[in-house]
Amino acid sequence: MSHKSKSAYLFVAPAVLLFAFTILIPIVMTFAFSFYDWNGFGAMTFIGFDNYARAFHDHVYWNSYWHILIYIIATVFLEVLVGLCLAGLITMGRKGSSLFRIAFFTPVMLPMIVVSYLWKFVYNSDFGMLNSVLTGIGLESWTRVWLGNPDTALIAICLVSGWVYAGFYMTIFYSGIQRIPKDVYESAYLDGASEWTIFTKIKFPMIRSLVDTGIMLCVLTGFQAFDLFYVMTNGGPYNSTEIVTTYLVKVVFNNMSIGYGSALAVIMTLVIAIIGLLAGKLQRKDNTLEY
Amino acid sequence: MKTKWIMGSMAVVLATGLAGCSGSSKSEQTTLRIAMGSPGEGLIKVWEDIAKQFESQHKDIKVEFTYQKDDTYKYIGLPNLLSGKNAPDLYFEWAGVRLNNRIQDGYAADISEKLKTSGLGDQFEEGSFNGMKFDGKTYMIPTAGDVTNVIYYNKQIFNTLGLEPPTTWEQFLDVSEKVKAANITPIVVGNKEMWPAGNWIGHLITRVVGEQAFDDAMQMKQPFNSPDFVNAYNYVKTLWDSGYINDSINAIADNEADMLFFNGKAAMHPIGSWLVPTAEEEAPEFEMGYFNTPAMPDGKGNQDSVIGVLTGMVVNKNSKLIDEAIDFMKLYSSAESSKKLSEAGAVPITKDGIDKAAMNPLSSSMNDLLQGASGVVSPPDMGYNIEIANALYLATSQVLSGARTPGAALAELDNSIAPLKK
Repeated sequence: MSHKSKSAYLFVAPAVLLFAFTILIPIVMTFAFSFYDWNGFGAMTFIGFDNYARAFHDHVYWNSYWHILIYIIATVFLEVLVGLCLAGLITMGRKGSSLFRIAFFTPVMLPMIVVSYLWKFVYNSDFGMLNSVLTGIGLESWTRVWLGNPDTALIAICLVSGWVYAGFYMTIFYSGIQRIPKDVYESAYLDGASEWTIFTKIKFPMIRSLVDTGIMLCVLTGFQAFDLFYVMTNGGPYNSTEIVTTYLVKVVFNNMSIGYGSALAVIMTLVIAIIGLLAGKLQRKDNTLEY
Repeated sequence: MKTKWIMGSMAVVLATGLAGCSGSSKSEQTTLRIAMGSPGEGLIKVWEDIAKQFESQHKDIKVEFTYQKDDTYKYIGLPNLLSGKNAPDLYFEWAGVRLNNRIQDGYAADISEKLKTSGLGDQFEEGSFNGMKFDGKTYMIPTAGDVTNVIYYNKQIFNTLGLEPPTTWEQFLDVSEKVKAANITPIVVGNKEMWPAGNWIGHLITRVVGEQAFDDAMQMKQPFNSPDFVNAYNYVKTLWDSGYINDSINAIADNEADMLFFNGKAAMHPIGSWLVPTAEEEAPEFEMGYFNTPAMPDGKGNQDSVIGVLTGMVVNKNSKLIDEAIDFMKLYSSAESSKKLSEAGAVPITKDGIDKAAMNPLSSSMNDLLQGASGVVSPPDMGYNIEIANALYLATSQVLSGARTPGAALAELDNSIAPLKK
């Protein structure tokens, strides 16, 4: 018996060790570092909860959660909602809809870093496309320094995110809508339903669970956002587009405060965990749909 | 995505750290270890040439180089190497506050005597040792210098408008006004990363509040929010309020601002001496000149100071090969080596071996500016706590683009660095 269980440990060892070295130990170490004043190489000084106390008074850090919240709300609309509408449109069976399907999906295939640089040029205030077009059609007073103005920078970034991921969610919803049996539509048409009614009463309710998943994905990946912000504004101007991840990188790699950065990372982990738990609780239990 | 990035960087850090720890395993030290940020392929070849020459003169010694990525070397690599087992005997460092920290930590040898007896000291002008002497003792052998900010101007625009490079603040405003009246952006700054304006305005602040007051504030001995600092920021505010700065200041990076300047979109561009080689490469036809930060009215600081940093090699105090290290640097600073270094694109500052005629006149004149300066101010991010420097840069960017009043920005600055007080 004992021999048997020993060999069982041996079999799971590789997986456990891999998990331990790549995930478990870094998490534990981060937690440990958060109680020290440490710059990454010199002496480590134990300072108890000082890093956490500092974090609670760090308004740049808390504002970065606010920015993430705005970003998430905006992306839920610009990505999930727009994606849903696009999916509804391309499944109407009109001519050329496959062309649009490809067109809307193309941005998803571009690496995010390329997208970021691309849109940085579009938004450039001196020779960017956006301002040139506005000037060209006589709306010169509308031109802005899009990424250099705290009022527009965050929204400008959200729009780019929408431009990329609307196509992604569209594809998911499209495949969901494709799975709806044809006879449901047929009977709806026979009853004289319009495309709008079909969309709101059939397509949307029948892929409701996919939309829920989409929103959930939007919220959770919102916290992972980094490259777009890093390239386009790097948190500027004056921290007005600072999100948790860009701020973490600044604290750790620019300021070399590993201890403080670790504390910020621990808090971020807790915040995401709480949001995940809340979301789980809030999700509707009855997902059945009957006709 | 984020985690990947961080893990990647950590791996780099670890790898360089390990590289620093490994090395030769011989017990008696016959290896002269030299550490520096990577100077680029061309210059590495020159260093290795000199090493070969050195080895042929010292048969029992082998020279070993450690090159690291600049940023890594500056903050993590060098401290790691110095505290490691095979610490470098000779290492690259920035003069000023950073060098002083090394001296305090016991990693810099006093080489004043050796410079005299070996004749190495005579290979440089006196001014080349700016920021390398503490309490009358010299701790560094200079290799290069960077003026980190002057204000470049477009000669063609200045000639067309009949303008002269300004020397005082009033003249500077006057010139800016005339350029603006001609429908050209007077000053272009690419401040997305916040150090370009931070560095320039840092110099302006020391001119107004005085070097000592600036030093005290940067070391948290005095708060930033004081009448003198408000006064300094008020000058800065004027630039934005009068519309002398490009609107896109916060949106573009330093290299984008360089391009706008080269394209004649702006008349003036404050940045460091590295713009000269950039201009040679990107806009060889472009005609530019430069002037130092103008003298500030009623300034408490030295109005002729230059902001910049000399760099050089430090002999490790704990090294057993101090004489050999000096010998190596003597070889490095020889006229013959300087010639090789110039050819490889460096701007050496030795007395001999430099063909000034072959050098870009702007580069050589900036070398003279730094060496002849009656006072050298360190860039805020060079000598001081990097977090305080970054906080100051943020405040500067807020004032320079009209987002905060001087008082509000300084109060916020004091507030944000308060937790750093130990």
